[in-house]
Amino acid sequence: MRLNIDEALRYLNIRCGSNLSPGSAQEREMRRKTEKMAEMLCFMVEPKYIYRVLAINKTAQGFELEGTDIVISGELAEKMLLESSKAVLVICTLGIKFDSMLRTEQVRDMSNALILDACGSALVEAGCDSAEQEIAARMKGMYLTDRFSPGYGDLPLELQEKMSRALNAEKMLGIHLTDSMLFNPSKTVSAIIGLADTPQPSKIKGCAYCTFRDNCEFRKGGGSCDK
Amino acid sequence: MNSGKEAEAVINNLIKNGFVVLDGATGTALHKMGIDTGKYTEVLNITNPEAIIQLHRSYIEAGSQIVYANTFGASRYKLVGSGYTPEELIIAGVRNAKKAAEGTSVCVALSIGPLGQLLEPLGTLTFEEAYEAFKEMVLAGVNAGVDLIVIETMSDLYEIKAALLAAKENSELPVFASMSFEKNGRTFTGCTVESAARTLEALGADAVGMNCSVGPDNLAPLIAIMAKNVKIPVIAKPNAGLPDPVTGNFDMDPEEFKACMEKCIEAGATIVGGCCGTDTRYIEKVKELTIEKPIPERTYEKASFVCTPTIPVKIDNVKVVGERINPTGKKRFQQALLENDLDYILQVGIQQMDAGAQILDVNVGYPGVDEAEMLPKVVKKLQSAIPLPLQLDSTNPAALEAGLRVYNGKPAVNSVNEEKEIQEKILPIVKKYGASVVGLTLSNKGLAKDADERFEIASQILYAAKSYGIAEEDVWIDCLTLTVSAQQEQAKETLRAIYRVKNELGLRTTLGVSNISFGMPERGLITRTFLAQAMALGLDLPIINPNQKEIMDVVGAHRVLTGEDAESKAYIARHTAEDAFETNHSAVPDNKNNEPASMTLEDAIMRGLKSEAAKIAEEMTKDTDEMALVQEHLIPALDKVGTLYEQGKVFLPQLLSSAQAAQNVFEVIRVSVLNKGSAPIKKEKLVIATVKGDIHDIGKNIVKTLLENYGYQVIDLGKDVQPEEVCKAVREGDVKMVGLSALMTTTLPAMEETIRQLREIPNSPAVMVGGAVVTPEYAKSIGADYYAKDARMAVEVVRKELG
Repeated sequence: MRLNIDEALRYLNIRCGSNLSPGSAQEREMRRKTEKMAEMLCFMVEPKYIYRVLAINKTAQGFELEGTDIVISGELAEKMLLESSKAVLVICTLGIKFDSMLRTEQVRDMSNALILDACGSALVEAGCDSAEQEIAARMKGMYLTDRFSPGYGDLPLELQEKMSRALNAEKMLGIHLTDSMLFNPSKTVSAIIGLADTPQPSKIKGCAYCTFRDNCEFRKGGGSCDK
Repeated sequence: MNSGKEAEAVINNLIKNGFVVLDGATGTALHKMGIDTGKYTEVLNITNPEAIIQLHRSYIEAGSQIVYANTFGASRYKLVGSGYTPEELIIAGVRNAKKAAEGTSVCVALSIGPLGQLLEPLGTLTFEEAYEAFKEMVLAGVNAGVDLIVIETMSDLYEIKAALLAAKENSELPVFASMSFEKNGRTFTGCTVESAARTLEALGADAVGMNCSVGPDNLAPLIAIMAKNVKIPVIAKPNAGLPDPVTGNFDMDPEEFKACMEKCIEAGATIVGGCCGTDTRYIEKVKELTIEKPIPERTYEKASFVCTPTIPVKIDNVKVVGERINPTGKKRFQQALLENDLDYILQVGIQQMDAGAQILDVNVGYPGVDEAEMLPKVVKKLQSAIPLPLQLDSTNPAALEAGLRVYNGKPAVNSVNEEKEIQEKILPIVKKYGASVVGLTLSNKGLAKDADERFEIASQILYAAKSYGIAEEDVWIDCLTLTVSAQQEQAKETLRAIYRVKNELGLRTTLGVSNISFGMPERGLITRTFLAQAMALGLDLPIINPNQKEIMDVVGAHRVLTGEDAESKAYIARHTAEDAFETNHSAVPDNKNNEPASMTLEDAIMRGLKSEAAKIAEEMTKDTDEMALVQEHLIPALDKVGTLYEQGKVFLPQLLSSAQAAQNVFEVIRVSVLNKGSAPIKKEKLVIATVKGDIHDIGKNIVKTLLENYGYQVIDLGKDVQPEEVCKAVREGDVKMVGLSALMTTTLPAMEETIRQLREIPNSPAVMVGGAVVTPEYAKSIGADYYAKDARMAVEVVRKELG
């Protein structure tokens, strides 16, 4: 699997430049380093994911997912799942191996560790993209909404716990959730995707829905993740 | 059955005489019966015992000879919020299983699953806490009268070691130990089949195996590997395939399951059953197999072996043992031990790993150091970032036991000798923790005078080790190097002894090599030649300094000549690699002049050239005062890079590269100060921590790296740190400043609470906060004195506060 270098550079608060303006010598150097690290990481670690497709029952409480105790409610859910008859729960992780590599690299070379960390974040997203493609292929005839996650907008982080349990994630993927709702291994992402009979326009990609937007140095510097 | 002895006899009989049929799934089978298991399946033991009894009975009718009580998740960690204690649910669970087994010869097992919390260093649960939780389950199970203990579905070798020790130390019952592997032959935490098999057997498991995770179609090849690596019976208890993401059903029917289980049996499994997705129909099929199939033949692969979970090391050719973690003759290392500077020791370990060491010898014995306290701490620290097996080097039995106990995998112990008293103290510990042991050919009467005497001592040590139940492949012999300048005739005696021990006793040999050349000019030449001679005569485990390139070159050449380095690939790669000038991130553009001779310390630091910076600093310490070096060269260079960073001209990884170059300079200064006996350069202390509940600490570690470069003494409390711990460190160290980080909104309250508690301390320290979700406004609102948006700003804040 390949990861998006520009995305990794973004996590490092480095504006990536383009073919037209390749950036300063330092920026080019960082891109080169990041590419090298990404290549090594992709060779060592393969993202793993599990997912479950569940029917939605719309009730007064919100969107109930059949066969689980999950009820998704709130503004974001209304917006995203409005036309969906099914929802897919996805969890993707780089596993413990990544965290072990990162721990070792932090002792060996903190500078490289930082780059590795950014590449890891980009790789787990690439894993989610790959899960999304598999789901799209499996559910032919249905249309996918944007992927959205607990912690986005008004969707509570606590939902992660029920999602983990519904996916049997501890047994099937080896991931754990701390009391403070952090996943361990650290590069783990949970997401929900709606499935509808009609094409679903992109609604939430980009800065407007990002938890970190107020503190984002990249954004303050004029950058944006909006595509 | 009630008495431990009786149960043991029955189970030993069962597993010796052939197949044993286990039961199938609990959770998924209850779902099929239409029962909602909720969050805590074990609560059903009390709220719906009829269903549980019925499930056990159905498995017994299907042919199960051992049923697992419904206690898998009945640990104090998993039951939080259930309203029940482990003991209540275990007693009820065992009662149900025994009721179902009444009037039959079926045995009841206490099932112990993972605690649902990751152990250190992956998570924050300590080994000791895990042990206590398992002990509580074991004691409840023993009280309830189980016939055996089954530890299952584990993915962390460290966790299953804690459970196995708890079972062995708190019961006399047989113990089965089983882990979950993925298709690639590793558990989720990266543990290999070999590491699991050999570590668990060495720790005293009565059977080992695999359950859950992959379906039986992928299990057979892994079972075959496991069966080669142990002498005890092998368990296969897989899922009925994998759940389909759309239908939610497991994808394998009983006939398919049977066909796959047949392969597992052929691969060597004799204790068989089913895990998630299986029910009585699957167990009936498994039962048929045990009637139709002959007992599989197995061949045990005898091997000298040490490991960590991720790296199994079979000593079938030369393996390099790194000797540098040892205070003897190393002032800097001694200082690190006395100051509890575990980071330095870890650095020494990483360097050796990167230089090609395959096992690390660990010796922390030094006057003024409590070895029994230090050794386990160092073992944990090393294993947090180094995947290589360790050889614990001590003659202090208490230190060894403490170190072996917390070691993750199968370690080695260095060493025993011919002395009975030492053997009596150390060999039982070696046996209990399943280690390998080095036998030093040193007699009660002192040095052996020739090869034959060494051989005799080796034979005696082997005999003694075997009498404690230690396998002969776990005994390694050190034929003892003496200094050739003092006792020239002894060199050839050492070599001859290696040859005899290797060929006549069939044991692995190890040797501290470097000592040979002490007092000679061109020491390296003597050492390398002796090493080559020893390897040619059968030395397996040279204990050397792998950081010396030339000595590792000899090992590389040896591997070419023995054919072990196929097509000489490693050798060619090593000797044709560009001997590139160290190019690291550079904060300033490369100038053409790359010669270190004309480079200033400032240049080297700004360009992040670690070894160049160290070299230049070493030169400078000859005629420059250390303090001046720091104040006039090191800090100005760091400041320049810092300014470029603030201007957005260089980036954080580049700033960190400079910081690391500066760190190397600091290391040079420390050594210089020790050698000259001048005053150490130490600025104020500060405490840093990632707050309780937060496990992401790379940001905090970056701040630490930068601060140390400015000479501050950083007391790093790590991640997930309780407010009380922060306060304690502040009080004990009389600390004037604290830095706290938090990454998630969910952990901000812990930051607030930590500050609240810090404010109650007289002379409350200044508090700086930072982290992805912290804002200046929030920092103010929770009473922090400073907010730092990044590591660079943190340095500025600390300089302002502490000077």
